Amino acid sequence: MFVLQLAVAGIAIGSVYALIALGIVLIYKCSGVVNFAQGGYAMLGAFITYGLTSVGLPSVIALVLAIAVMGGLGALTQILVLRPMLKAPVVAVMMATLGILITFRAVCLLIWGPDQIGFPALFPIGAIELSGIFMTYNYIAAFLLSAILCAGFLAFYHYTPIGLMQRCTADNTRAALAVGIHVSNQVTIAWTASAMLAGLGGALLASLNGLSLGLSNIGLVAFPVIVLGGMTSLPGAVVAGLVLGILQAVTDGVLTPAIERFLREHTDIYSVGTLQQVIPYALLVLVLLVRPQGIFGTKESERV
Amino acid sequence: MLKARDVTVRFGGVVAVGGMSIDVHAGEIVGLIGPNGAGKTTFINAVSGTYVPTQGTISWRDEDIVGHSPSRLARIGVGRTFQNVASLNDLTVLDVVKVGRSVHGHSRGLREFLCGSRADDEALTERLLEPLGLADHRHSPLQMLSYGHRKAVDIARALASEPDLLLLDEPVAGVAPAEAFALAGFVKQVRDLLGCAVVMVEHKMDVVMSTCDRVVVMAEGCKIFDGSGEAAQSDAEVRRVYLGD
Repeated sequence: MFVLQLAVAGIAIGSVYALIALGIVLIYKCSGVVNFAQGGYAMLGAFITYGLTSVGLPSVIALVLAIAVMGGLGALTQILVLRPMLKAPVVAVMMATLGILITFRAVCLLIWGPDQIGFPALFPIGAIELSGIFMTYNYIAAFLLSAILCAGFLAFYHYTPIGLMQRCTADNTRAALAVGIHVSNQVTIAWTASAMLAGLGGALLASLNGLSLGLSNIGLVAFPVIVLGGMTSLPGAVVAGLVLGILQAVTDGVLTPAIERFLREHTDIYSVGTLQQVIPYALLVLVLLVRPQGIFGTKESERV
Repeated sequence: MLKARDVTVRFGGVVAVGGMSIDVHAGEIVGLIGPNGAGKTTFINAVSGTYVPTQGTISWRDEDIVGHSPSRLARIGVGRTFQNVASLNDLTVLDVVKVGRSVHGHSRGLREFLCGSRADDEALTERLLEPLGLADHRHSPLQMLSYGHRKAVDIARALASEPDLLLLDEPVAGVAPAEAFALAGFVKQVRDLLGCAVVMVEHKMDVVMSTCDRVVVMAEGCKIFDGSGEAAQSDAEVRRVYLGD
């Protein structure tokens, strides 16, 4: 029962990971750039939501507004920072995204300071009990919102003309250019969508775990998620996000206490630290050894 | 409609196209022929925005189009196909055709732009994929198709944008003779239906003769002949270029 309880929390957190990872995959697919700033967008989304509620807006309106602002910001960074780097090597562009992350952190530090902030409740406080498992409204709402958005986003990607142009750009950028798709605009759209997903994900995480600059580290968890999912697979990112969320929760609740108990009995070691933060990378190493293309990825094959 | 004057494309010291001029009118199918290396594809690339000519002017409906990007050209009704089939892999046949439809400029409601429509899929299948023999493959990814089918998909994609000027770069090269004539016949049907102008680069003379209203012959980057197909075959200069002295 305890493990199930943990799994519920894990699924909720994992679905938020998936949301954030989707954005990274989206940008990677259509421009080949790994966006290191994704954690920064998540953090900024949460801070903007917090800022808007602290000037007196109702939390739901603040959240919606913040997501809209994030969308604009995503488009703006692509146009101002990445478009001028069109002909630069991909590595240089990735370094630029790292710069964006650092800038965001600096701005948030300047405005909101380094301390942990109590995030305003986005959802009613309370919980329901289902055959012995407690689920707070917070967790349920985070899961439902993430699930609906993931599904909605995948549908958008597969069934609309804009989604089709995104897929065409992802399939072969040069061919997309040749058949008359404005590829730069497609990349702008990807950044917009990605920043919006991250902004929402960040606000949801803050509502579960509180808000601080450390939230930007979520970007680092998102990378194992997309590598596990196979870099270019959107459904893969969703599944990997859920797996990682559950694994972290179970590590935190079961594995860490068990190891610590064992170590205290037999050695002088008192604590193993935050083992759940190590798990994503341990899993990452394992998957890279066994299945380098990720769980849902396809092997690259070049036609000659 | 299409007016190219003195178009020159240089790559370093190599003159690929040197002073090429051509007029193409609405509803006309022009065959652009010439020996290998004559600059036919380079010229098409210059018209369709892939290359920017070093010199010369190209106008389409009195609008200067030199330096326009392919996406901009697609919106003002210039469509093209490729000699080497655009190498998309994972998209399905229907997807590729819908991409062709999405990039053109005919304004549509925001709702349709966001939602797409099932009726559209049916219409595209019936109007474009059936005649090209692709209806059964409409949900196959492009990389699963044969070369001939991929070529047909590329033509369907270009036609889906309902172009007013269609540039075909070797549409039937490497395609079996029977299919080649079917493809060429379809291009003619489309011209009759849409009234679009077509410029067709092609080596297969029997296809060119049966499809084109007019033939333009290029050699070493310049135009050496402009006239009917029959006249081209008896022209002394054309014979010299093709057959040697």
